[in-house]
Amino acid sequence: MHVEVSRRKFLQGSAALSVIGGTSLSVTNLLAGHEESDKNLNDLRVTTKTGTGKATEVATLCEMCVNKCAAIARVEGGIITKLDPNPMFPKSRNMLCPRGNAGIQSIYDPDRLKYPMIRVGEKGEGKFKKVSWEEAYDAIWNGTDKFTGMNKILEEEKDNRSSFLFCAGEGMAEHTFKTFFSAFGSSNWLNHASLCLQTVVSGYGVTLGSYPGVDLENTEYIIMAGANRAEAIVTPDTMDGFKRTKGRGAKLICIDPRFTNTAAKADKWLAINPGTDLAFVLALTYVVLTEELYNKKYVAENFNGFDEYQKSVLDNKYTPEWAEKITNIKAKDIYQIARDFMAHAPKAIYYPGRRSTFANNDFQLRRAMAIFQGLGGGIDTKGGLVFGKKLKLGSHEALEPIYARAEARAVAKDKHPEKGHSGYSDCAVVSGGGSWIGWRNRFLEDKMPYKVRGMFIYKHNPMINMPNTKKTAKMLKKMELVVAIDTMPSDTVMYADVVLPECTYLERTDPVKTFAGVEPSIAQRNKVLDPMYETKPVIEILKGLTEKISKPLFEITKKYDDDVQEELADLGEGKEAKTAEQRESEVYAEFDLAKPFEHSQEEINKHMIESVYGEEAVKALDEHGVFYPNMDKYFKQISANEHQYYPEKEKAYTVNEGRPKTGTGKVECNLPNMGKKGVDAMPIWREEYNFVVPEGKFRMLTGRHAQFTQSGTANNAMLRDLIFENYVWINRRVAAKKGIEFGDMIEVSSSIGKTTLKAYPTEKVGPQTIFFVHGFGEESEALTWAYKNGGNDNTVIEDITEPVYGSSSMHETNVEIRKV
Amino acid sequence: MARYGMALDYKNCINCKACEVACKEENGVLLGADKHRIWVGSNDVKGEWPLLDIASAAFLPSQCQHCDDAPCQEVCPTHATYYDENNVVRVDPDKCILCSYCMNACPYDARYVDDRTMTVDKCNFCAETRIARGETTTACQNTCPTKVRIFGDLDDPNSEISETLRVREHFTLKTHLGTNPKLFYLT
Repeated sequence: MHVEVSRRKFLQGSAALSVIGGTSLSVTNLLAGHEESDKNLNDLRVTTKTGTGKATEVATLCEMCVNKCAAIARVEGGIITKLDPNPMFPKSRNMLCPRGNAGIQSIYDPDRLKYPMIRVGEKGEGKFKKVSWEEAYDAIWNGTDKFTGMNKILEEEKDNRSSFLFCAGEGMAEHTFKTFFSAFGSSNWLNHASLCLQTVVSGYGVTLGSYPGVDLENTEYIIMAGANRAEAIVTPDTMDGFKRTKGRGAKLICIDPRFTNTAAKADKWLAINPGTDLAFVLALTYVVLTEELYNKKYVAENFNGFDEYQKSVLDNKYTPEWAEKITNIKAKDIYQIARDFMAHAPKAIYYPGRRSTFANNDFQLRRAMAIFQGLGGGIDTKGGLVFGKKLKLGSHEALEPIYARAEARAVAKDKHPEKGHSGYSDCAVVSGGGSWIGWRNRFLEDKMPYKVRGMFIYKHNPMINMPNTKKTAKMLKKMELVVAIDTMPSDTVMYADVVLPECTYLERTDPVKTFAGVEPSIAQRNKVLDPMYETKPVIEILKGLTEKISKPLFEITKKYDDDVQEELADLGEGKEAKTAEQRESEVYAEFDLAKPFEHSQEEINKHMIESVYGEEAVKALDEHGVFYPNMDKYFKQISANEHQYYPEKEKAYTVNEGRPKTGTGKVECNLPNMGKKGVDAMPIWREEYNFVVPEGKFRMLTGRHAQFTQSGTANNAMLRDLIFENYVWINRRVAAKKGIEFGDMIEVSSSIGKTTLKAYPTEKVGPQTIFFVHGFGEESEALTWAYKNGGNDNTVIEDITEPVYGSSSMHETNVEIRKV
Repeated sequence: MARYGMALDYKNCINCKACEVACKEENGVLLGADKHRIWVGSNDVKGEWPLLDIASAAFLPSQCQHCDDAPCQEVCPTHATYYDENNVVRVDPDKCILCSYCMNACPYDARYVDDRTMTVDKCNFCAETRIARGETTTACQNTCPTKVRIFGDLDDPNSEISETLRVREHFTLKTHLGTNPKLFYLT
């Protein structure tokens, strides 16, 4: 056996991933440091050994990334000493990844936002004054000498609620924040979608009717292209995906421009040119169509527009030989993969992936992948793509008043759109969140149909997560009122006027959530400890805020809203007649923003569960954090590493008779309606998709890492031990030619900016690409460990958006590198 | 009384390092990248892009091998290193004088210095935490996303680890040294 690596060699060899760092400690009492704030922060980098005495356990859900794995917190003497995996949750199957384990550091992070603050310095300078909650709410309404209040803005904009933008990061309490957004009545909502998975969700949505799950537990053949499940962990895919690879029952083909850990676990790795996956899929399709390898019965019964698509693929001659030139993948490999895939279908999966949009053709790529999957019939079936079952939840009260003065979403419409054009300036389709980059850039270029002057940001960090950091900073500076709700003093929080500190996920109960899948369940994040410092859960923050501003807001509405004025004037007649006060209180009830926050999260959850599943379910969620019907009967441990959640015959592999979930019940190959908006109705290759990098430049790739989520984990003391900073991967031969050695400082620059980080010469990337992990290079000085640690990719990635949804295309930027 | 050992289905390992973090949080291991009881070994992949040698990029999770004939125990001048009642190789912090003989003697490089207790520290199969509480497995086994590890009593023929080792081919590290490790790598 030759893979053995010793501790010393390990430290040396993988220095790019794990560098010796940190100071040794003498403090063992976790709370000692918190009480004495002048203590060296390094003293707070501690772990506590779990004890053997009395402990309580609370079932919670992890929030270190988007997966929401179930955890059990061990509490000893009022301190969380350990987070363990919760075996009862089918989605996370008794595991916690390194970040989940390190979640304990997030509650004890000494840099946490601890109390409400208002800005006293210049915008972005990070100078704040500690205030009470009342003072913070008051500053939001009235402003200060440094910034404008909500009152003034809405008065001047005559109750146009859309003069406020609301944006949020992904998370269970995003729902709570969105409740506030809906009640407030703005039309401007932005979240991570257009910086993340908009195109994959929509591509599969319009083609198969849903963004599906995958049954990696039972599949025989997986093409994982541009998805890195060994490092960008998704549950249960990551756990199911790697137990049977390497000649153990499921063949894994990894297609990626760089050699990832997924590539290391694959049976075959093919280094594709960035942005050319669509050509690869079209060539696979060509082989399957010409050799008639597809499931003819399935296609005949479940496809719409097959003939047109077949004609398009054949007429365009998308042969493997054609694709070889574009993709850098050998034609013989393409033939082989197409044949193998169909030989194993329907137990074969072209993995849909869950990742950001990389290339401008991403929407079409997803469509081509979904259609290719359909050709093998592996839809809504064991071992293929699965829609799964979703357990329903009870409802709870929300408030969605209609404000006459609120303008529609701030999109720029062309006055005289050309035929075959969507009419929007920056994308063909404005979906739920819309395009973040498009919105920001319009705002900066004064192309808004009306003035947007204030924004609420909930746990979202556009300074790090959106391409072109300089523009984001400009946008935040231009906003007259920025209110940030967050747990950490992120780069974005530094630009806030009012900072409202939320408690961490371990200190709050969040909205109960249903998790669809082959083994569906409901899970609940239960509060482990009371919030530390002066922090509060977002639901309480919004309760306090709305109680303060709801009435005054209504006064503004009364002044400018014709409909409300009419309603108020209508006092009824005869027996139905009311006094003006009575009428006003009736009308106000529709506009009482505090109403959705009347009940605690615990009460809301209880109501939502009890009304559908009864008292036992409420108890199960409180005790175990998980519930599904018959859980007590079905759930059992089979071995050290295996649990049964549902008996095989109860698993929801097939919920739609093996058909897609589109309106027609068919795989949609051809979308003429999209064609009318200037989008290709069928996936085709276009000249401009070719991978071209000018001499002397490199294509910039970004990605994820198993020990690091995004900027949210940048300041985590434990994870920082595992990945101290990010390194730029440069092809070893290229580096040698340029005289670049490991650890040299490299400036990476593009047309929009530059960043500096250390070099990691490696053969894991090709000579025309460079790579570094996203989420590093924070500029917030309030983050002790993350501050200026490595490079921020979004200072370099250009704000290029794909044409369909205006999602940011993360891999379309060419950069230069220079040793500094 | 048991003879604890561990079988590792190492081909499942994706090098995520959840085991390393779980170990640190459970056992209060010092922070710092050079302080760990458990690690995942990996080599830089061989070959030139795009023809890389996937087989050379295997991940090998490792920790103290809990040898039945442990060189570290033999060389310890103060008997600080000892076998506990479960045949787990342990270190008594009161007896350790930090002479570091054990660190040099260990062929698996499994030991490091805990700067707080000034003791040579290493994996003890969670003996002071989970096992002391009556739990049946280690933190690393429990948390692993791809379920690499099986922990148990090698003396119990009915234990899962014993059964596994009877039916699955396996190897131990540096077998030729005669240390008789109790970590078994499943092929």
